[in-house]
Amino acid sequence: MKIEIRGLDVIYKNGNHAVKNINLTIAEGMFGLLGPNGAGKSSLMKVLVALMKPSSGEVLVDGENIQKNRKKLRSYLGYLPQDFRFFTRLKTWEFLDYAGSLAGIKNRKQRLSIVDELLDKVGLLEARDRKANKLSGGMKRRLGIAQALIGDPRIIVVDEPTTGLDPDERIRFRNILSDLSQHDVTIILSTHIVGDISSTCQGMALLNMGEMVFSGSPDELVKQAEGHVFNLRLTQEEYDRIKDTYHIISSIPSDIGWDAQVVADDVSGFDSQEIEPNLEHAYVYYMEHKINGTNINVQVK
Amino acid sequence: MISIHNIRTVAHYEAKTLRRSWLFRLFSFGALFILSIMNIGIFSPVGDEDWSFLAIPSSLPLFNLYIINIAQALIVIFLASDFLKRDKKLDTNEVLYTRPMSNMEYIFGKSLGILRLFLGVNILILIICLIINIISKQASIDAAAYIEYIFIITIPTLIFSLGFAYILMSIIRNQAITFLLLLGLAALDMFYLYNRMNSFFDYMLFGFPVFKSNITGFSNLDLILAQRIMYTALGLVFIFATILIFKRLPQSRTHRIISSVSLIIFLAITAFTAYYFLDDYYRTQNLKTSITETNRKYESSDFLKVTEADIEIDYSKRSITALATLNCVNNTGRPLSESPFSLNPGLAVRKIDVNGSPASFTGDGHIIIVDLGKALEPDSSLSISFTYEGLVEEAYCYPWHTEDIKKDPFTIGPVRVEKRQAIQKDNFLLLTPETHWYPVAGLNFYPGNPARILIDFTYYTLKVARNNKLVAVSQGVRSSDNDYWYFKNEVPLTGISLIEGNYISDTITVDSTGFIAHYYRGHDYFRKDLNELSDTLGNLISGIMTELETNFSTEYPFNSLSLVEVPVYFHSIERKNTQTRAEVQPSLILLPEKLATINDAGFHGTIKRQKRRMERNNEVITDRELQVRAFNNFVRNTFITSSGFRFNRGNTSMTPGRYLLGPSFYFYKNNFYSDEYPVINAVFETHLQKVETPQRGFQRMLLGGLSENDRANTILKDHSLKEILALNPSTDTTRLILTLKGDYLFNLLRAEAGMEEFNNWFSSYLEKKKFRNVSIDEFNSDLGERFGFDLKSYLDQWYNGKGQPGFLFTDIIVNEIVVGNRTRYKVSFTASNPEKTPGIFNVGFRTGRPGQGGGRGMGGNVSITISASGRGSMSIGMEGRGMQTNDVEKIVKLEANQAKRISVILDAQPRGMFVNTLFSINNPGELQFPLMDLMQGKTDDNTEGEIILDKIPLMEEENEIIVDNEDPGFRIYQETSSGKLKEWLNIRRDNGNDYREMFIWWAPEYWQKTVESIYYGKYVKSAVYTRAGSGERYISWTASIPEPGYYDVYTFIGKRGGQRMMMGRGGEGRNVMQDLHFSVEHDDGSEEMTVNWENAENGWNHLGSYYLSPDTARVIMTNQSEGRTVTGDAVKWVRQNTLK
Repeated sequence: MKIEIRGLDVIYKNGNHAVKNINLTIAEGMFGLLGPNGAGKSSLMKVLVALMKPSSGEVLVDGENIQKNRKKLRSYLGYLPQDFRFFTRLKTWEFLDYAGSLAGIKNRKQRLSIVDELLDKVGLLEARDRKANKLSGGMKRRLGIAQALIGDPRIIVVDEPTTGLDPDERIRFRNILSDLSQHDVTIILSTHIVGDISSTCQGMALLNMGEMVFSGSPDELVKQAEGHVFNLRLTQEEYDRIKDTYHIISSIPSDIGWDAQVVADDVSGFDSQEIEPNLEHAYVYYMEHKINGTNINVQVK
Repeated sequence: MISIHNIRTVAHYEAKTLRRSWLFRLFSFGALFILSIMNIGIFSPVGDEDWSFLAIPSSLPLFNLYIINIAQALIVIFLASDFLKRDKKLDTNEVLYTRPMSNMEYIFGKSLGILRLFLGVNILILIICLIINIISKQASIDAAAYIEYIFIITIPTLIFSLGFAYILMSIIRNQAITFLLLLGLAALDMFYLYNRMNSFFDYMLFGFPVFKSNITGFSNLDLILAQRIMYTALGLVFIFATILIFKRLPQSRTHRIISSVSLIIFLAITAFTAYYFLDDYYRTQNLKTSITETNRKYESSDFLKVTEADIEIDYSKRSITALATLNCVNNTGRPLSESPFSLNPGLAVRKIDVNGSPASFTGDGHIIIVDLGKALEPDSSLSISFTYEGLVEEAYCYPWHTEDIKKDPFTIGPVRVEKRQAIQKDNFLLLTPETHWYPVAGLNFYPGNPARILIDFTYYTLKVARNNKLVAVSQGVRSSDNDYWYFKNEVPLTGISLIEGNYISDTITVDSTGFIAHYYRGHDYFRKDLNELSDTLGNLISGIMTELETNFSTEYPFNSLSLVEVPVYFHSIERKNTQTRAEVQPSLILLPEKLATINDAGFHGTIKRQKRRMERNNEVITDRELQVRAFNNFVRNTFITSSGFRFNRGNTSMTPGRYLLGPSFYFYKNNFYSDEYPVINAVFETHLQKVETPQRGFQRMLLGGLSENDRANTILKDHSLKEILALNPSTDTTRLILTLKGDYLFNLLRAEAGMEEFNNWFSSYLEKKKFRNVSIDEFNSDLGERFGFDLKSYLDQWYNGKGQPGFLFTDIIVNEIVVGNRTRYKVSFTASNPEKTPGIFNVGFRTGRPGQGGGRGMGGNVSITISASGRGSMSIGMEGRGMQTNDVEKIVKLEANQAKRISVILDAQPRGMFVNTLFSINNPGELQFPLMDLMQGKTDDNTEGEIILDKIPLMEEENEIIVDNEDPGFRIYQETSSGKLKEWLNIRRDNGNDYREMFIWWAPEYWQKTVESIYYGKYVKSAVYTRAGSGERYISWTASIPEPGYYDVYTFIGKRGGQRMMMGRGGEGRNVMQDLHFSVEHDDGSEEMTVNWENAENGWNHLGSYYLSPDTARVIMTNQSEGRTVTGDAVKWVRQNTLK
């Protein structure tokens, strides 16, 4: 399904302008919404799932304004909110059954088999009869995605799904999502963790302070950082000098001092070697260079 | 359109979540457990089988739902607001909010979930109740009530509580504040609002009566429905409002429209039902006021006397059509051209004929003024016919009365029952004379003189149209044909009642009096329970009637006595001008259905319990004997001696029972009247319709507070009887005062005429004058003729005079004397009345050897009998009330400022003397003097009687100074504090200034005044007591010392002989009173003295000898003590004769 966001603004009662004039088109497949904390991602998500009214602008799904037909939107929506804690007094399967029933699966037998299928898919079948307070953080999140998937939603909105997960769980979660994206669904994933926007994202947008600063494919973002990522060999004294002014992405101790990866426009005067940027480099480059408008020059004094 | 699937889904899972919460589990398991125990304990054959419940089967489900409802009204507050709190954690619920369901479906689902769960618990409890109901052989089953009460009690309360919790939570969005508000509302209902405005605010049915009679169903179905629909609708208004303001973007315009429209509809229903309910309330209030005001206009009118009344009545389709023909005589002494009659304002007069010709009349509210044509000369008579129709307006009855269910509730167990005075249902009719369902020449209330009463003795005939297969019951001989029931009375009545219902009747004739029971089919449970009595019933009744006739010294004046069962909610109100209750009519008693509210009527249970006890004690008793006892107990405790005991703010009072047969022996038979002393009939009545007060002595002996007599004396201290009555005191107070003044008056008559002589003359006088109105002038002249005694010369002082006598008793001694070859005992004492008003007191003795209970040296004439039923019952002599004066040995009259030496010779050794000072300043007015220690050896002087002494003996010796706690020299030092909150809530702090009963296990943290004859006092035998402590509160006695010298200082300690006042918990059975700490101030400073209460003398206890200069002397006592309570009374300084 094609989602078009037109001139969207979200202004809270306290005057906080959370989302500013966003225009965006999201096609089927996985779409990543990246931005630091407080960039307005969650507000945008809430508008997308009709939990919140935009202050202005509109969201169209296949050409239809979702605010005017919330029921229809809700009938093909799966949503996993950022802070998903579920009712402590329900068992895993019961919660899924509840969600499934509300999603419109009226036949109990059919619903129960779907529930078990989904539990299996997210690896929770063994925890079927466990209550929420007996689930780990990752398991809860997986249950969250399972409930978002129940009832064959055409649009799945996932808000910050990997926060607080250990690496294993995070990988597992990403795999589930990328599996899903193989089907005819639109998955919108919001995150402040660059690693979540994997190569499976056909499209992405970068949000900062409520504004959309980039939209396109992850490759396009990476491309923009080409020629700006370097590996520097630094002495201890050089390292100390530049570490506060540079975005050092990683640093490893070396025989002369440090080997450091930096994002910069100019690294003349250093023992440098340009390297191919990845999404993380691109994100840093973009946030620092393009948005904040700082010229990142590293010069030898 | 509305997805039932969604609602059910939400309901299912919300219920599941709720069911797993600890609070709900605690509540439901707790409720099930407690109520199961209660059901078994109260209703089941292994339990108590409480008759008041079992008699009316609907009370079983009512009891259960009433209890659970109060609990769940509170629990639902927690659960509902908890629900919404969860919804506030938006992220959790967002996964649900993004589902395709409307807000209406969601809120409905939630509500349904909660309702379903609570209903489940309610139904489970009802099932348990039903099982017990089925097992119980005593109760029938009212299946409909099980369902009706769910709709009346449970559902409205739940819906309202839910809705209110929702809306508050939605608006305030703060769980703590919501809790506080909701709990506040619940508390407000339970402590303040439940009784206001006919329980309009009582959403949880804490005090609103919903009792269902087995005869007629609900007493007030329309008001019940109005109130319950109102709260249901208001709850729904809140729920729909919650839907509309719910913090989730709506998805269905249709549902919003439905919600808005529903909100408006339910708001309209709320408003309509509230209006309906309040309209009834205000209409009743206004009607009562207007009746009183109308009465005020006519209270000094001249009324005709009705000698015969012929009433024809047709009650069908809930409407009365009647023709009443009254034969009236003018005995006003003046010619009358018009005459007022009262008729219930619900009945409209269509036509009036005087002597067969149409007459004009005017109506003024319930007053109908009939134009008699030409003036009716004195002592001539005429006949007036009234044609009228309508329905009786119940609020007309007892217009001065405003129901205060807090003070005087009518309850069965915890459940309140409405008090109704008339019943007009499709299948039942009950009209008592109180309703004025036929024209009455007089008023139902004289506002200017509430104690006044006008009584006509009228020969009634009644013709009742047969309708609806109902059976008519009334007074007189009944006959019938196809169209009518006829009742003819050969004895004049003060009023006639009509009851129509599905009655069956049984008659047993004993000593030519017919005893007729009118009851509903299946309500004759007593046949089975008392099956052994069938052949002895006549003898039993005969015995009881003989006993009654002996008791009242007069014969039962009617040919029959009908016992009619009527719906339990028929309940009269006490009147000020008579003690006679509407439950008892001439020759007819209206009893509660299946005798439900009569304790001793649960024959099966009583017999069962007694049998068990007998078996435990290895006693053998036949079933027949058990049944005889049960029957006798029932009759005695219901019709002869019943009274209700009330304890209010430290004072006890007894209300006469509702079914006492007394009125048949005076009020319905004799009448004394006086324009000058309008209370005279009420005074005669209170005295002659003797009301025994079991427990009174018991209460007084144990606790020592103000008896009814004492209270009446306190009230009359500074006012005349006339003044007090003009202040329109409460019914209770009026009764107290009239009883006291009646006792005084009759004791005066007996003192003048001699006890035996007066009693004999008076009982035959009453018989001679039965069914006649006797003026006080006629009585006075008859009395004068017989005894040469002019009552009227006393009546003025009695009615209009102020001031009270005060009696002092000194020098009591007991001597043995030998008369013939028998040893007898002579008691001598000095009685004086130093006051300006003459008075009388009577004296009685307790004789016999000290046996069981002998330890109670001060027991007076209290005899303790623990009846076989296990309830301790106590009786105290009537001290001159009623026609029988067995307990009174002597009545003594003392003029103002007079003293007498009185001697009485007794056959047996007296153990105690008791004195009732009747109308006097003495407090307590009932004094008890132990005589065991006052034996003075033998004497030859066997004279008895009274000798007037030259002067009044002194209470204090010349060298004595006594300061009592009532004297100016006594002072209490205590801090009085009152919290702000208490001030705001208008909670009055007790300050100890009123006399209160002493509660020995608990003493207040201030000095509380209490009276009892064991204490020191001139007239007022009082003391102060407080909780023991470390000496933070103290009292002092101060006296001025006239001359220097050595003084012996004493303190008075009043002890009930041998009575141990136990200290509980760790007190090892010690007395609550232990060490008392005094500080005696003298010339060289002060001396600390400790008196051990247990070892102290009963009376004056020496605190030492001290040298005192002419100045003020002081003794201080603190509340320092190891015991639980300290008591302070009086201090005495006695000057020593020789200087040391």
